[in-house]
Parts: sequence; C-alpha cells; structure tokens
Amino acid sequence: MGEPSSLSFEQPDLGRALDALNEAQLDQLTFGVIGFDAGTAVRRYNTTESKFAGLSPERVLGHPLFTVVAPCMNNFMVAQRFEEAAERGETLDATIDYVLTLRMRPVKVQLRLIAAPNTLSRYVLVRR
Amino acid sequence: MSELLEEYEALTQFLYMAPVGLAQTAMDGQIALINPVSAQLLMPLSRDGSLSNLFEALQDVAPDLRARVNGFGMSHGMVCEAMRLQVAAGVRGKSDPRVLSLTLLKLDETRLMAVLSDVSQQIKRERLLEHNEAWLSAIMTGITNYAIVSLDADGLVDDWNESIARVTGFTREAVLGQAYSIFYPQNATTQERVLDRLRDADGQGWSIDDGWRVRADGSQFWGTAMIVPLRNRDAPEDARPDKLAGLAEATPPTGAPRDASYCLVIRDITDKREASEKLRQASSCDHLTGIANRRAFFDAAELELDRWRRSPRPMSLILFDVDHFKRVNDTYGHPAGDAVLRRLAEILTNTFRQVDVVARIGGEEFAVLLPSTDLTGARIVADRLRQAVELSSVTTDGSCIHLTVSGGVATMEPGVPGIDALLKRADQRLYAAKTAGRNRIVWELPD
Repeated sequence: MGEPSSLSFEQPDLGRALDALNEAQLDQLTFGVIGFDAGTAVRRYNTTESKFAGLSPERVLGHPLFTVVAPCMNNFMVAQRFEEAAERGETLDATIDYVLTLRMRPVKVQLRLIAAPNTLSRYVLVRR
Repeated sequence: MSELLEEYEALTQFLYMAPVGLAQTAMDGQIALINPVSAQLLMPLSRDGSLSNLFEALQDVAPDLRARVNGFGMSHGMVCEAMRLQVAAGVRGKSDPRVLSLTLLKLDETRLMAVLSDVSQQIKRERLLEHNEAWLSAIMTGITNYAIVSLDADGLVDDWNESIARVTGFTREAVLGQAYSIFYPQNATTQERVLDRLRDADGQGWSIDDGWRVRADGSQFWGTAMIVPLRNRDAPEDARPDKLAGLAEATPPTGAPRDASYCLVIRDITDKREASEKLRQASSCDHLTGIANRRAFFDAAELELDRWRRSPRPMSLILFDVDHFKRVNDTYGHPAGDAVLRRLAEILTNTFRQVDVVARIGGEEFAVLLPSTDLTGARIVADRLRQAVELSSVTTDGSCIHLTVSGGVATMEPGVPGIDALLKRADQRLYAAKTAGRNRIVWELPD
C-alpha cells in the first residue's frame, strides 16, 4: 500500500505506472495529476491538483481540459504538443517550466506532458 | 461556511473559464492576480518563461507600456483602450498575422487592471471593411477639389483637363507624358513604387495613399491619392480587375495588359490632415518616440513583401540596437533612457528617406525597411546613421550621454519565406555586430 506514493515526478515510464493506480492511490501523490482522454475530456483529477487549483473534481471531471479546465495551457507550448503527438502517432514525454494561474496567482511550476499511442489516458502532471 | 466555500469555488472557476485575459498589477507592472487566458496569451511572449511582470512579458510587442503608464497624469482612468499589439507577422497562405488587444485601466495610485484578448480574426475582417469604406467616402464626397488625372499602362499622364491645374498648378505641357510621381516630393516614392500602385490597383480594384504632394511651384500639400483601373471594354470578362474584390482572394496579375489605363484622383486634404494624422498616430505611432510602431511596421512590410513577390526588386531591412542601453538606464535613470530613444528616432527620421519605414519594434530596437534598395545601398546608409549617432549626444539633467548603435542589414531574396525570416536574418547580423564589439554594421555572416 505504501508503494504508490513513492512514485516520483521524474521517474521513467510514469504514464503506465499512473494507469495502474486507482483513484485513492492517485490522491496520495504529492504532485498534481490531470488525466484526460483523446477528446481532451478530463477523466482523472487527483486531490493534490484539486487543492492547487481550488476546484473540486466534480467541477472538472468530464469537461474539456483546454477550454474549460485549464485554458492557460491552450497554446503551442502544451495543447499543441499533445495534438502533434497524436497526429504523428508519437510518444510524448516532456517536462517544461511553466507558469500556472492557480487561484489567479502566477505560480511557477514544472509540467510533465505524457501521451502515447495505444493508451487511453494522457497526463498533465504538475509540480510546484 | 460551506456555502461560502462553494461560492468561492464557483467564482474561481468563473475566472478560470473567462474567455478574455484579466490581470491586476502594481504600477511597475508586477502581477498580483492573473487568470488563465492571460497566461495562455502571455507565456509564449515571455522571454524568461516567468510571468511576474506584465510590462516585461509584453516588452517585445509593446515596449512603450511603462512610459504610457508613467506619463498618465490622472489618478485613475483608461491608460489605453483596445491597443493593438502585433505579435507575429504571419506567413502568407499559412498563418494569419497574430494581434493582441490590450486595455489598461489605472484603478488608483497603486493598481492597474489589464484586459487582454486575441483579435487576429477581427483584424482580418476589419481590413477589408476599411478599404471598402475608403472607396465609398471617396465616391460620396463632392467632386470640386479633386484633380482627375488619366494614366496609361506605365503610369504616364496621357490626357489633360483643368482640374489638374486647379489642384496642382501644373500646366498641360509640364505633365503630359510624365510619370504621376511628378505630384510627389522627391524622396517620397520610387520608380518601382509608381508601378506598384498600378499593380495594387489591378489586384484590389484600388490603391489609396495619404501623404505629402507637391505643386508646380514646389510648395507641398497633404493629399490623398486614389488610383483606379479603368475597365477595358474589349477585354474578356475574366481578365478585368474585379473592383471591391476580397483582398485575400484577389490574385494580382503579374503585369497589366499593354492597353490598360488608370484614373488617378488627387485631393487636397490639408485641412483634414491634423484630424486624420491624429487618428493615424494613435494607432500606428510609438508613444515615446513618435515614429511608426511595431504594428505599423509589420503592416507596411507585409504590403512591400506582396509587391516584391509580384515583381522582385531590391528591398532591404536594417535592425538597429542602442549599445549598452541598460547601462544608460541604470546609470542615468529611465527618463534619460527615454531621451536617448527619442534622440535616436529623430536621427533615424532625418537620415532615411520618406519612402523608408522607420519604426521602433522593441525596447531599444529599431527597424528600417528600405524599398528599392540593395544590400550595398542599405549598408551605406546604415553606416551613415551609425556615424551620425556616434557624433551626437543627449543632455539630460546636466549629464551629457554619448551613445552608439549596432546594426544588422539583410536583403530580400528568393528563399526568404517572409518578413519574420528577413527580420531574423537582420537580427543574426545585429547580434554579430554586438559580439564583434558594437558601434558597427554587419551585413554578412561568416560561413
């Protein structure tokens, strides 16, 4: 049981490890997890991310990520990278420095963007 | 309590989802509150990837924001409303120009509120509308103070009437067979530009420009000049220029048929100059220096590039950057830095021709677009500017500041896809001039 929370933000092949966690295990992670499907609808949203953003999961789950939940990522630095990876059938695993507007305060974060062909979930992971 | 929490959450999400950018900053631009769309629009512009200061995030597209705010005298009110910031010129047929709109409201002595939105699509529609409107107003206004000049396929005056003498004072003998540039001051047009306007008219159905015109006695007046292609009755329908056609759809012909003819209408609008110039300055001039701003520069460059594509000819671009500008600001303060920029703008204006486009496109970065000028010509005049700056000085608050500039010159050639690419070339050379020790002009890179 103690194992899931030992998942680290940097570890390789993190997407598959996240897929294997249930929601309770996801909630124990110290970084924010937003999982979404091919149509960009949010499917997973952990407690850490919910606290960062000040939004409860009910307000977010099922809604399109880049227009309703996190419009700040709807540019070539984030959203477009997922689109391009999907178009080309490529794997995406990149960590970038970014600024999120959590509760309307500019906050420097690291984002890890994860997507792979043949998997259902894509992830944006947020570390403050 | 939980009701309050729920309301707070709803409010948070309302701001998260708002489709415009909102930010609250201190008077120095330091960001206190900011919503996601602001971050979406600003992050790609931020040089260092941080979003702590609004002025810094926008410094490349709106270098005069700080000066505008400092120069705003009232305790609260609108510092600028729907000001347009050109982000990228766009690539013909691939991507549209990107333009942001910025409204800045001074809330009190310590806080500013900014509203940001992407207006690229709106601008595209507006441009078409503007041209159509110009047409209508030209047709609807009275006809008495117009000179109506008939031009042949090469832009030479081929007929005479009294209206020409009434507005310009020229006689029949003086104008017949002359290019219509006879009505322009000497450095305000080029041989290529004379033909460009005919091609513009072929492609769009009109070509209009406002500026100084010259009378027979050498005196000048502020005039608007419209060129319209006259329909050739014998030409097949599809060869006729389509008046009021969409700007984007019209494919300009490479050359007009030999029997083409044009009508040039010149109108003296000296009395309306102040009003129309004020309007133009508000949107296309840099607030601090009074020369063209980034947006006006990209507009002019795009137009010149269209002409280049239609009929390639020399066209060059120079980028200038003040050497050690940061040191001036740090040593003498921002007002001295501002004085330096104003002085440089003045020297630029005096050195280059009226037909050249002189603009401030970044904090201490200036660009000059030179139509009908090859690399050698641009190089020579760039160096003349460099020398003029070296010999000048700026006095503020008792200190005398000497300054120098570095410059990068690039010229348009096949294989350069657009204005962004040409700017990049000039920028690489400017960088080379900086690393080679400053106060110099670089026009080629070592292989």
